[in-house]
Amino acid sequence: MRRVFAGIATTMALTALIGSASGCGSSGGSGGDTDAGGVDQVKVGVIPIVDVAPIYLGQQKGFFKSRNIELTMESGQGGAAIVPGVVSGQFQFGFSNMTSLLIAQTKNVPIKTVAAGVASTGEQGKDFGAVMVKADSPIKTAADLAGKKVSVNTLKNIGDTTVRESVRKAGGDPKNINFAEMPFANMPAALQEGQVDASWVVEPQLSAVKAAGGRLVASNYVDAAPNLTVAAYFTSAKLAGEDADLVKRFTEGINESLAYADGHPDEVRAVLGSYTKIDEKTRTALTLPKWPTEINQASVETLAQLGAKDGIFGDATPDVAKVLP
Amino acid sequence: MSSGLLGVAGLAGLLVLVEALPRLGLVDDAYLPPTSRIAAALGDELGTAQFWQAVGDTLTGWAIGLAVAVVAGIAVGIVIGSVPVLRAATASTIEFLRPIPSVALIPLAVLLYGTDLGSTLLLVVYAAFWQVLVQVLYGVADVDPIADETARSFRFGRWARIRHVLWPTALPYVFTGVRLAASVALVLAVTAELVIGAPGLGKSIAVAQTSGAVPLMYALIAVTGLLGVAINLAARVFERRSLAWHQSVRGEVPA
Repeated sequence: MRRVFAGIATTMALTALIGSASGCGSSGGSGGDTDAGGVDQVKVGVIPIVDVAPIYLGQQKGFFKSRNIELTMESGQGGAAIVPGVVSGQFQFGFSNMTSLLIAQTKNVPIKTVAAGVASTGEQGKDFGAVMVKADSPIKTAADLAGKKVSVNTLKNIGDTTVRESVRKAGGDPKNINFAEMPFANMPAALQEGQVDASWVVEPQLSAVKAAGGRLVASNYVDAAPNLTVAAYFTSAKLAGEDADLVKRFTEGINESLAYADGHPDEVRAVLGSYTKIDEKTRTALTLPKWPTEINQASVETLAQLGAKDGIFGDATPDVAKVLP
Repeated sequence: MSSGLLGVAGLAGLLVLVEALPRLGLVDDAYLPPTSRIAAALGDELGTAQFWQAVGDTLTGWAIGLAVAVVAGIAVGIVIGSVPVLRAATASTIEFLRPIPSVALIPLAVLLYGTDLGSTLLLVVYAAFWQVLVQVLYGVADVDPIADETARSFRFGRWARIRHVLWPTALPYVFTGVRLAASVALVLAVTAELVIGAPGLGKSIAVAQTSGAVPLMYALIAVTGLLGVAINLAARVFERRSLAWHQSVRGEVPA
């Protein structure tokens, strides 16, 4: 019995130790470090995909340095870690799709968008993401997806809600679509091997599926809303309130980067080689998204309605005005 | 044939098999490219500074994490092992903490250290520490009571007994612990980079995967395997050299 008590006591001591260590670890402030020259060290949580090419290009072009911002891009762990990272102050800014931001808002996570991130091209059949099937698939239109197994990268998010809208618009019943969750990188193989009937893929996997003879059945971002704003850069409500000047300079830097990227697709394709390993052939051929500087508010409201229709917000209703700048 | 030659033959067989499977159409070469294409991707990658930076980052995380775990494991092991009350008091706690997979601590690591080296270190140290600690505890328990009593009769102090009786007895166990910990530390370093996105080879593998650069992905995976082999060989050589006097090693050396 004494041995058991002693064991419990040490466990408790260890727990206390770990607790105190965590207190030390999370001491990083939310405002980032400012060095003697007044340059702000800013960390941005991103996913190393095509969508964030403008921020890497803007960094190369000095659009942030000229505003006294020294950028560090933190990539990895998918998008899920970015929102907590921004709220806890590990990153000053983050990149996330709009539906995730709306979900965060319904959970009262204190975040605020500061700039547009990436938008659909708005052209049927020529967007940077699409629902693809094998060449010999019996699925001919989006309506045929009813009751089929469709892969998306995250369940209850922007992928499944927009795919359902494609099916609705084509006159199909989206209720019985069986969505399967898997990373985009696994989808070309899963589609090829018949593990799923259709895949929602974005570039560069979209190019890979097309090269393997895949057929496009729906441009779900285009079906969801005209010129849909897919993602945005955001910050914590805390930083937005405490350092409005930094947020303003970051927004200006992003906007200049977005405008530059939209006007210089060749430089975008080149910068992709610096932070991804997409081969040169794919880089020159893939479909680039649009990078407008304005968040299309109507499209965000549509995303909120689609999400509510599919029940991804639980009982809550997202307040679009609270998310947008 | 010596075991070394057989080992090389086995590896060559694996390389030929990977070359043949996609060429014979048994697997799709888009998802498992033949050895020659993986080797070509590796050749290109060897010429980039990014690659060597990633190798350096992985080895840094591995080395620091392993060093911390070994020092902590030996110190804690000797203290706990030589004080019976402490041994009894910590036994259940160690048995509770030890089986927790380091990977389960990823959310904790991300909360504490974000995507920096600190996250990698947390996972590496946690996994490697128990390997060392448990071996040290066995080693301390293996001390010959007669030797210990003899040392006491000669009025050896506590420190002298640790130095001259406990340490030589525990040393072979310590080396076993270090060798096991070295491999585990590499696994966890790469895992942390792969999942969390801390800089290093694991992150490069993740980037290659999301970019659809399949041959490069396999090339980088092969590099992590080669690192593991190199680390294990180095640990064995170090163990033999340092324990040349010990019967466990003397017995293995052919006369």
